[in-house]
Amino acid sequence: MPPIAATTAEMNSVPGLTAERAVTWPKVTKSRLANGLEIVLAESHAIPKFHGQLSFRSGNAAAIHRGVGLAEMTSTVLRTGTKNRTSRQIEEDLRGLGADLSSSAGADTSAIGFAGLSELAEPLLSLVNALAREASFPEPEFEREQRQKLEEVKLERTQPGFLAGERLRKVLFGSHPYAQISPSEQQVAAYKREDLLQTYRDFYTPENALLVMVGDFEPSTMLKTIGKVFGNWSGKKPATLNAPEPTQPRGRQVYLVHVPGAVQCQILAGCPSITRKSPDWVPLALTNSLYGGAFNSRLVMNIREDKGYTYSPRSGVNPMRQHGYFSISAAVRNDVVAASLTEIFYELDKLRSLPVPEPELADAANYLSGIFSMGLATQSGLLSQLATVALNELPDDYLETYRDKVRALKPADLLTTARKYLDSANMQIVLVGDRAQIEPQAQLFADPKIFDAQGTSLT
Amino acid sequence: MKRLQIPIESTTLPNGLKVVVAPDSTAPVVTLGIYYKIGFRLEPQGRSGFAHLFEHMMFQGSANAPKMHHIKLINSSGGLLNGSTHYDVTNYYESVPSNALDRVLWLEADRMRALKVDDENLRNQRDVVKEEVRVNVMNQPYGGFPWLDLPPVAFRNWANAHNFYGDFADLDAADLADVQSFFKTYYVPNNAVLLILGDVKPGEGLKLAAKYFSDIPAGPPPPFADPAEPQQKEERRGNVEEKFGTLPAMAIGYNIPQRRTIEWNAMALLDQALHGGRAGRIYRDLVLEKQIAVEADGGIDDIFGYNGPTQMVTRILHKPEMSTEKTLAAFDAAIREMQASPISDDELNQLKVKWRSDYYSTLEGGRGGMPRYGLMHLLACFTLFDNDPMLVNSILEGFEAVKPAEIQGVAQKYLRPENRAIVFRTPAAGNGKKEAA
Repeated sequence: MPPIAATTAEMNSVPGLTAERAVTWPKVTKSRLANGLEIVLAESHAIPKFHGQLSFRSGNAAAIHRGVGLAEMTSTVLRTGTKNRTSRQIEEDLRGLGADLSSSAGADTSAIGFAGLSELAEPLLSLVNALAREASFPEPEFEREQRQKLEEVKLERTQPGFLAGERLRKVLFGSHPYAQISPSEQQVAAYKREDLLQTYRDFYTPENALLVMVGDFEPSTMLKTIGKVFGNWSGKKPATLNAPEPTQPRGRQVYLVHVPGAVQCQILAGCPSITRKSPDWVPLALTNSLYGGAFNSRLVMNIREDKGYTYSPRSGVNPMRQHGYFSISAAVRNDVVAASLTEIFYELDKLRSLPVPEPELADAANYLSGIFSMGLATQSGLLSQLATVALNELPDDYLETYRDKVRALKPADLLTTARKYLDSANMQIVLVGDRAQIEPQAQLFADPKIFDAQGTSLT
Repeated sequence: MKRLQIPIESTTLPNGLKVVVAPDSTAPVVTLGIYYKIGFRLEPQGRSGFAHLFEHMMFQGSANAPKMHHIKLINSSGGLLNGSTHYDVTNYYESVPSNALDRVLWLEADRMRALKVDDENLRNQRDVVKEEVRVNVMNQPYGGFPWLDLPPVAFRNWANAHNFYGDFADLDAADLADVQSFFKTYYVPNNAVLLILGDVKPGEGLKLAAKYFSDIPAGPPPPFADPAEPQQKEERRGNVEEKFGTLPAMAIGYNIPQRRTIEWNAMALLDQALHGGRAGRIYRDLVLEKQIAVEADGGIDDIFGYNGPTQMVTRILHKPEMSTEKTLAAFDAAIREMQASPISDDELNQLKVKWRSDYYSTLEGGRGGMPRYGLMHLLACFTLFDNDPMLVNSILEGFEAVKPAEIQGVAQKYLRPENRAIVFRTPAAGNGKKEAA
């Protein structure tokens, strides 16, 4: 058959969208073992592999009384030895299973993430089980990781993105544990093996755990395997700590982190915001998407595509379990710091003042619902969504109804949301760069408080 | 053991455009890509960084979709888009709900047919690219290490050795005439492959490709600068000052065998033995056991994605109290071990299982939220470099056939000082020190 070419008219005008195909939701199986371990399984047969995550609902915030970053250190040393395996055996066993494994901790969660071949699922789950229950925290491995961490914390203070994030979190959260994103050298030096062990015993229990797996398996068979591997585990949920309320900083403040010789300025501005449980979560997600959350968003079109100030401007809502914050970031050339901030605030204030035109809103709603579906199209993407729903205790139909909620929003909803959450007047501004190049521009917004990269005040 | 078989349809249109379709209706999402066989290596001398700057220009407007429309049309269809410049190819790709497939094909055809950009667009994107270079290289600790540091030390042919992000003077010198001539020379259908993956019915993808692309005229075959390197006879070394970082660093790059040879298969498993995560010999020896390094990783990056000289690169950040000599000696000891005796059957089996598992993940993996990027990338490279997209279903066999003696053989033949280059990144005095108040 000869190819059918498009007509000239077809070539000159944009094709419309054809009828949308309904999303077939992956079959999700939920269960709970008698010991309290919560289980979520979903099938995805694109490759003969699976992805999994064993999460514990306690992270660095819940371990702060023992040390900043202590849950993270616990998760790091966790993989260096168990009752029956040395560090080297663990790593070689993983390789032989074709597996990848990570152990890490964020503010609210400690997690062992893993991926491997379906045909070798049971031995990989058994290894994950050993790490969750029988980690031995060998003294020499602890000391080695501690020395390693000391070099890492020195190194991160040379990264503009880290310095900006660290300062903003201190400013927004004050005495709440979320203010501390990384330990100091002194804090690392003060870590004790006994504290890691205690954190491990407290956090890594089945009552505190969630196991999510997505991949090429048959759920009822996998459920049996999980029961066999994790069934005789026991342990209580840890007591929750009461954390102080975060600061609510008022008025625009500027914090300048001085990096001598910086050839660019990292801007990071933010204000307190909401968690995923808030009824305003979806309206705020759409508002953010319009503002600076998409390539086609107002901020990106303005300071990148129109003015060429920056390569990668973006905004986002950063939800943690107890509190969230909204942030805007852009790395800009030194002579346009004030000009960039002016546009950042102009676009915020515009969204707070004028209703979004209907067609722009429809485009943004399409974008947000489209990329949401795309995020479910890989094993790791679906895993991450299912874990987010379970860890944040969102409603069971959260994923299924998300797109409809996005599409139901009206310009008035976005105006209300912008006025409530894009808190232009109280935005906290962090600038990381060379003081001599950017301080006069910073002065135009507020009298800056100036720090060096070590966090020492220079004013 | 389950074997993966991906259904693939392919054809070449009369104008020379290759088309590869991999239908899979699991999710109502389709990923579309166009790969042009032009990358950093072929950009003109005096125009370093141009292939990448040009990639940015492809988003600045075409005959029927002026600036901002392309991005807006994809995003508002519920999709994502991006492009990236590599050594031997430049790609443009989109993931969209499948009801926007016609629209995306139309957009890609429109910009293959006629780029429509002006001086202001070029000025704007030159500024954006400079900030990209600053944020990724000039204002970051270890920025560009080692991917920009090694080539000028390792290679003698300009095609392989120049600054791929571009000297700012060269970026400034580029004008609209360069843009249009580059477009006319390399962005022709007979120098490209179109890929459609995901929710499209069998047979339908090829028909749609013909509908939107078949009237774009072929161009003369693009010129091809030979990237071959003269035989290296000595170890090569270079030094770069590290402006921000606190740890001394080094990168060691060995030239590797030509793609799709038995030696290349063996080299890939040798790479896995050395750099396969925490079980790899480099990390195990330097970080876990001898505790000389803080970071030690590397390997053959994007092994299927090259069509010219490339290296297996080890990247080491070591403790300040460990000397450069001591660090390099520990690295060399790990290499000598690979040369001295064949690896055990047990270790080789582990390497093969891990290789297969990693390969599947590459096929399934997305990029920047876009599903099937990995499959798209492999299909494109197998089509443009090997003229055989079906390799995606058979290429594993070569790696699974590798024997211990072959790994030892390539270790002896390729991991020699006169086949490597080393770059040292030395922190400037005072990095990481407290600022005097």
